[in-house]
Amino acid sequence: MSRPPPSFTPQNPTPAPNPGGPASSFPASFSNLQISGAPPPFASAGPPAGNGPAPPSIRGPQAPVPGARPFAGSPSPPVQQSPPFGGPPAVQPLQPPQRPPFHGPLSGPPAQAQRAPFRGPPAASQPPPFAGPPAAVSQPPPFVATPQLPPYSAAQPQLFGGPPGGAVPLPTYSMPPFGGPPQQGPYGGPPQFGGQRPGSQPPSFGAHTAPASQPPPFMGVPGASAPAFGPPGWQGQPQPGVLPGGLQPSMRMPVMPGGMQPIAGQGIPSTPTMPYSPHAGAQVSTPSKIDPNQIPRPIAETSVVIFETRQGGQAAVPPAASSEFIVKDTGNCSPRLMRCTMNQIPCTGDLVTTSGMPLALMVQPFALPHPSEEPIQLVDFGEMGPIRCSRCKAYINPFMRFVDQGKNFICNLCGFSNDTPREYLCNLGPDGRRRDADDRPELCRGTVEFIASKEFLVREPMPAVYFFLVDVSMNAVHTGATAAACSAISQALSDLPEGPRTMVGIATFDSAIHFYSLKRAQQQPLMLIVPDIQDVYTPLQMDLILPVSECRDSLEQLLESIPSMFENNRVADSAFGAAMKASFLAMKPTGGKLLVFQSVLPSVGTGSLSAREAEGRSNISTGDKEAHKLLQPVDKTLKTMALEFAEYQVCVDVFLTTQSYTDIASISVVPSTTGGRVYYYFPFSALSDPAKLFNDLRWNISRPQGFEAVMRVRCSQGLQVQDYSGNFCKRVPTDIDLPAIDSDKAIMVTFKHDDKFQENSECAFQCALLYTTVYGQRRIRVINISLPCTSMLSNLFRYADLETQFTYIVKQAASGIPTSSPSQVRDQVTSTCINILQSYRKYCASVSSSGQLILPEALKLLPLYTLALIKSIGLRNDGRIDDRSYWVSIVSSISVFLAVPLVFPRMIALHDLMSRDDEDSLIPNHLTLNSENIQDDGIYLLENGEDGFIYVGNAVNSATLEQIFGSSSLAGVPNQLVLEQFDNELSRKVNEIVNEIRRQRCSYLRLRLCQKGDPSGDFFRSLLVEDKAPGGLSYVEFLVHVHRQIQSKMT
Amino acid sequence: MAADRSAASTPADPDGPDAVRLTWNAWPRSKVEASRCVVPLAASICPVRSPESLASPPLPYPPLRCKPPCSALINPFARVDYAAKIWICPLCFSRNHFPPHYAGISENNVPAELFAQCSTVEYLVAGAPGSPAPPPPVFLFVIDTCIIEEELEYVKLSMRKAVALLPEHALVGLVTFGTQVHLHELGFSDLSKIYVFRGTKDISKEQILDQLGLSGVGRPGFPKMTQQPGGQQVNGMHPSTTAGVNRFLLPVSECECTLSTLLDELQPDQWPVEAGNRAIRCTGVALSVAAGLLGACMPGTGARIIALLGGPCTEGPGVIVSKDLSEPVRSHKDLDKDAAPHFQKAVKFYDGLAKQLVSQGHVLDVFASALDQVGLAEMKLAIERTGGLVVLSESFGHSVFKDSFKRIFEGGEHSLGLSFNGTLEINCSKDIKVQGVIGPCTSLEKKGALCADTVVGQGNSTAWKMCGLDRNTSFTVFFDVSPSERTSQPGHQNPDLYIQFVTSYQHPEGQMRIRVTTISRKWVDGSTNTEELVEGFDQETAAVVLARYISLKMELEEEFDATRWLDRSLIRLCSRFGDYRKDDPSSFSLHSNFSLFPQFMFNLRRSQFVQVFNNSPDETAYFRMLLNRESITNSVAMIQPSLISFSFDTPPSPVFLDVASIAPDRILLLDAYFSVVIFHGMTIAQWRNMCYQNQPEHQQFAQLLQAPQEEAQVIINGRFPVPRLVVCDQHGSQARFLLAKLNPSATYNSAHDVPAGSDIIFTDDVSFQVFCEHLQRLAVQS
Repeated sequence: MSRPPPSFTPQNPTPAPNPGGPASSFPASFSNLQISGAPPPFASAGPPAGNGPAPPSIRGPQAPVPGARPFAGSPSPPVQQSPPFGGPPAVQPLQPPQRPPFHGPLSGPPAQAQRAPFRGPPAASQPPPFAGPPAAVSQPPPFVATPQLPPYSAAQPQLFGGPPGGAVPLPTYSMPPFGGPPQQGPYGGPPQFGGQRPGSQPPSFGAHTAPASQPPPFMGVPGASAPAFGPPGWQGQPQPGVLPGGLQPSMRMPVMPGGMQPIAGQGIPSTPTMPYSPHAGAQVSTPSKIDPNQIPRPIAETSVVIFETRQGGQAAVPPAASSEFIVKDTGNCSPRLMRCTMNQIPCTGDLVTTSGMPLALMVQPFALPHPSEEPIQLVDFGEMGPIRCSRCKAYINPFMRFVDQGKNFICNLCGFSNDTPREYLCNLGPDGRRRDADDRPELCRGTVEFIASKEFLVREPMPAVYFFLVDVSMNAVHTGATAAACSAISQALSDLPEGPRTMVGIATFDSAIHFYSLKRAQQQPLMLIVPDIQDVYTPLQMDLILPVSECRDSLEQLLESIPSMFENNRVADSAFGAAMKASFLAMKPTGGKLLVFQSVLPSVGTGSLSAREAEGRSNISTGDKEAHKLLQPVDKTLKTMALEFAEYQVCVDVFLTTQSYTDIASISVVPSTTGGRVYYYFPFSALSDPAKLFNDLRWNISRPQGFEAVMRVRCSQGLQVQDYSGNFCKRVPTDIDLPAIDSDKAIMVTFKHDDKFQENSECAFQCALLYTTVYGQRRIRVINISLPCTSMLSNLFRYADLETQFTYIVKQAASGIPTSSPSQVRDQVTSTCINILQSYRKYCASVSSSGQLILPEALKLLPLYTLALIKSIGLRNDGRIDDRSYWVSIVSSISVFLAVPLVFPRMIALHDLMSRDDEDSLIPNHLTLNSENIQDDGIYLLENGEDGFIYVGNAVNSATLEQIFGSSSLAGVPNQLVLEQFDNELSRKVNEIVNEIRRQRCSYLRLRLCQKGDPSGDFFRSLLVEDKAPGGLSYVEFLVHVHRQIQSKMT
Repeated sequence: MAADRSAASTPADPDGPDAVRLTWNAWPRSKVEASRCVVPLAASICPVRSPESLASPPLPYPPLRCKPPCSALINPFARVDYAAKIWICPLCFSRNHFPPHYAGISENNVPAELFAQCSTVEYLVAGAPGSPAPPPPVFLFVIDTCIIEEELEYVKLSMRKAVALLPEHALVGLVTFGTQVHLHELGFSDLSKIYVFRGTKDISKEQILDQLGLSGVGRPGFPKMTQQPGGQQVNGMHPSTTAGVNRFLLPVSECECTLSTLLDELQPDQWPVEAGNRAIRCTGVALSVAAGLLGACMPGTGARIIALLGGPCTEGPGVIVSKDLSEPVRSHKDLDKDAAPHFQKAVKFYDGLAKQLVSQGHVLDVFASALDQVGLAEMKLAIERTGGLVVLSESFGHSVFKDSFKRIFEGGEHSLGLSFNGTLEINCSKDIKVQGVIGPCTSLEKKGALCADTVVGQGNSTAWKMCGLDRNTSFTVFFDVSPSERTSQPGHQNPDLYIQFVTSYQHPEGQMRIRVTTISRKWVDGSTNTEELVEGFDQETAAVVLARYISLKMELEEEFDATRWLDRSLIRLCSRFGDYRKDDPSSFSLHSNFSLFPQFMFNLRRSQFVQVFNNSPDETAYFRMLLNRESITNSVAMIQPSLISFSFDTPPSPVFLDVASIAPDRILLLDAYFSVVIFHGMTIAQWRNMCYQNQPEHQQFAQLLQAPQEEAQVIINGRFPVPRLVVCDQHGSQARFLLAKLNPSATYNSAHDVPAGSDIIFTDDVSFQVFCEHLQRLAVQS
């Protein structure tokens, strides 16, 4: 119950009353717009009088919003649908939006080609413009296909009313824009697979086993079935549909286009907006109301896609990060390893500015591959070392062009012509490629690893060193945190990498630091105490860190006795900073991972902290203005320390098992500078948390990882790296130092133009990561991606990568939190969203009426995600300081895959599992995040990758309770839930689901029980993003707000 | 004289029952006269010498004191009016009433302290009834681990013996150090627990206590806590509850096992020593930590830090030489030229340590065993100020270390009688001022009327602290005569002068005692009365006092030319007290009380105390510390060794300390205090090599060989530190230990008239004969 429910208590303080009052006002305003007469938007509609949107705004917004998708051409027909809103929302609120809409669309005749654009994969819409390039082509498929399209897209036109009715708007649009040539456009790829049902596809790759490296995160092996969650739905769609017949990707493609072709888009090209444009105007008339069921929402996608990274010499548009797909590296790297916010690179910097979208790369060099993917190939050039461009030092890659019978090669990054080393000569084939290109991974794969030659070694590759540092101060011992840590370490020892190069060490600390020397003939270890915590040192040169094989027994014994040894410890102080420093000194000769288990606010010694939070509270006069300072590190001490750690390749992970404020803002500096992270167990419970602690630790040490890494991203001339962000230490502008890097860490790299690209050229990015494996081999992982350049704004929108962009926005917001007030950050986030949409509206959809909110297909979820971000823990006013700091700290290194759920959680119903029959996936379809989906007799699980909240309504069948919780009443069940498996099918399923989620997220969710009528229940409800909350808009209201803002900007 | 040096343990104490010897037993009354005496007015006292020899057993009641400011204790020289129950203090002539419990006093019932033979008497100071038992003695061992395995094994061996000898209730602590300092928590049973301090950083006592969780705790209850039932061994994890020092200092009975395990596991320092470098050794910090730890004991608890050092301090405070082997340890030459970069800093550090230890009342003992210097010269301050013991040897396996180390723990007959927490107060008659004290003590800076303006050694005080003292510890007190106007008027004059030494100390058995020695001497009036002065001259004491005085001056004064100063003093003395006709050297003669004095001076000039350049600063410091704390007889042996000849013809007899004493058929036994040399003449050596001593018919030869050995053993047994025994043959390399001490009456310059079988010394030094010729000539010059 820790969470402060206050804000939520009033569930709907100002519930939108009836459509009546406020609502009416909307309509009015809207009326100008397309919104039809339907007066009342849905219930939720009315923004509370006082609230956010000024009355005026109101009107504009809502209607349009929904319309958004509609934009395209949504024909008026939809109108009728309006009912949805008005009507019975309550009743069947949640249906997955998609379904309904589609029906219509699908059925729709192919004719709709045009409309296809929207709905389908983002791509669709834009194509027209360029017609030229192959790209365009693909779109058609989308529609066709099908069924799943997002509701709106199909429905589109109408604002919200989803048009289930048969009458699909299609016709309306004239825009054939896409007309582009049929060639397989970029998307071509995806579609093909789509058709396939999940089941079948994977097979092809099935053969490949998962790369050896990845250890199973939790329970099961990373299963075959990836979660198909959210956004993916959208993208995926295109494929599915259509292509029934053509499995073969390439072939198929053509077909599709054909269908479309009629469009002859070329003429139209000028209007990128095509899809919508014409209609827009027309639409206006549609008086629709916003149907909450029709507004854009992510759709679960359950099918597994096989994704070839390049097809026909072109970069393929990657599937959504959250969908399940199997990558075939055909020249570009797997999107898991590196993906760009835009899948086409703007030719000029102005274009980027105009679009409002960020240009950034998310790099996750050790991302877990799908088990069916081929492992990354290892290339050994021997003494010579990998071939590199002699000017920019870029590594050989598939995009380097060999010329002059192979005697020279031209660097794809800097354009320099290099001599091919004699040993590496090879003739070119008729296609201009080297004859051996397909045999050499470095010439045909987007990602390869090179064995580092001597020039990359400044010393012997370091051993894998794991040093454990455990808080044994009074509180730590009393709360059971010490025991939990010791037991977790003890159990995790067996997961350490095998071999003589794996070393371990341990120390404990309270107001002094206790090291242990385990290398003794005698049974008893030696305890060495460093009492000077102002100016620490290491008590032994050697023997503190030993090969695990030599000391496992004594270490286990020691771990067992530590809790009892300190049982009566009365020292309440904890010298966290000093202990880290001392441990660091012990590790200095080698570097390695320092795993710190801390339980209280560090109160003494170097880097001690004070209870700023309390001070801040008591000092109300400073008010909100200064509140964000608590989110900044209190001083530079820990930062300075962290920089030194990083210099000597020491990576720090901090496990905070606490029941009080610990100033994460200050503490997190250390892990974030050294490539580690903070794990937060608050409030620590000796009952439920040890399991998570163990699993987190185990995953921490067993996941794929590397040490003493240096990373640099190079890009083609025309762009330059602007900045890196993530958990690392940067000493020179071009490189980042990562004492450790693992599969969960992502680094964001932003770029800026320093020149222009030619329209048909490609822009390449190469990430080179020099690191040492846990087994002591020095390697360079080189990750390449080459993307086409475009000067068309509409292409940028069409090829925008929603999740990557959103991750960018989340990270930007997180970095702003410590320096600005929450409201400023929220405004910033909102305006980012608005700017992008406005740009689209202005330049790509100009034809449409001002009354419509028009969303680019690829980014149609942007408003929803933005809303979720605004309501996320980090940006809330009322959050605990530590919770917010923690949120900021994890966001800094979060991957695209996890960033979205962190902000926009997934909710599923548990009570009706038995009545369901989803063969497709273990995890049932998720529910939209609004309270209409919450029933009093239901049990729901909402998870964000970190925590799992199990909400139990107050009218739940006691038999169900009995089955899941083993007790027919929840009266005595603690909030911090330990989910047990009981002997019944339901319990088994629930456990399976939870475990599957844990596996997917590579995180052992903490489960919390939330009950209606209890603060925990209120907290749960505050996570329902679409709901209206005090001080926060509902989804519909937010769309209205966005629309109004765009309108006002346009005028 | 020198021959009967073994007197220390024999009843016939040459220093008398009071153990006080004065350079002059008759004192001139005026300052001018005093200065004309050349040899300063000084007393060598040995405050707690052999209590067994006292005329009276300890008196179980507190002594009576004269009224302030005199505060002298009642003594046999007091005039007593039995009727009025009044005693008159001989020092200040104040009248004091006896307290009521002396009511029974009468001519026939005189308390022991008034008996004439009780000029020295001891009182037992009983604590208030019910007060805690006296605190147990504390032994905190500080062991250097930067030594090779073999040496460490010797250390362990000695340590085990020591632990076995310690009284059960004694508290023991252990600090080991090398690159860092390890303080072992003996009271923690779960595993071996060590507090580690870095060697590079000087830490204050407060910091140490803080870091050990001892600040604020421990002190008040210390003695009691140690008595706490051993029950639940509070595991030392939480200082706030386990107050204390008793985590680190445990009764031997409780920690013998732990200690023995620790010793077993003790390894040479594990920190790497780079090639071309010395081991990193942080002696300074180790001693700081030890001192800091003891700081948590109650002041007044008898505690000693026993440091076993195996090399120079190369890190942190107290460093005496850098790690780089290419830098040699400072020599006297470097010190003279101010070319010892670390010296002053180190001295300052140890000065601070000394102050701390003195304020806590704790002792620092140093056992240095190394081929190179360890920094005794720098540590001298801390050792001497606290009254610590010091032993310098070459190896922990050497008997000098082994036997000496054992001695300090032995009880019974050979006990050193180690006492703690002594305070010496001096009271004297008017007109007498105290300039200061040379010896193992510290001035308490307690100013009083009897403080002289000029200061010698530890001065400016009427009281001195002796954190540690033993039966042999002696001090030299320098006096000054400064008659006031009034008293210098004839008629008023009291013919006797009185000096009273009051020593309170903690007896080895734990109780506090006060020993009072009151002496009386005669004033000599006028300048004419040389006769009386001469009669009262003690040449041995004078020689030793001069040696101590000159050593001090050499340390304090730059550019001080000791030889010249000695020569001049000797000449002045001879001019003043010799019998001669002006300008006629041949007429020169000296009173028997002075007869040996020139020879003492001659040997002093050549001794290690003056000719320091043959020795390292460490050795010099060592020699001087012992010179300053030994009894007169022992000190004389340091200046002028004794030489005994053993031969078939004559019984063992002292012979001249001259190269001429060497003969092929003699065995010589040299006692130079620090070393004892048995020197076999050439012939004897040959016989011995041919093993005649094993043949029954040559029993006598065997006995002859045995005799000096036995004699040497007697010397060794009675001495601390144990001297080095050198057995050598004529012309052997070890013979240098003897030759260096002999008067070079025959050198290679005079080799032509050397009798066969005799020896010569390769030196350009003048012989005693030449020295005397010059002396005579100069003394008689007008």
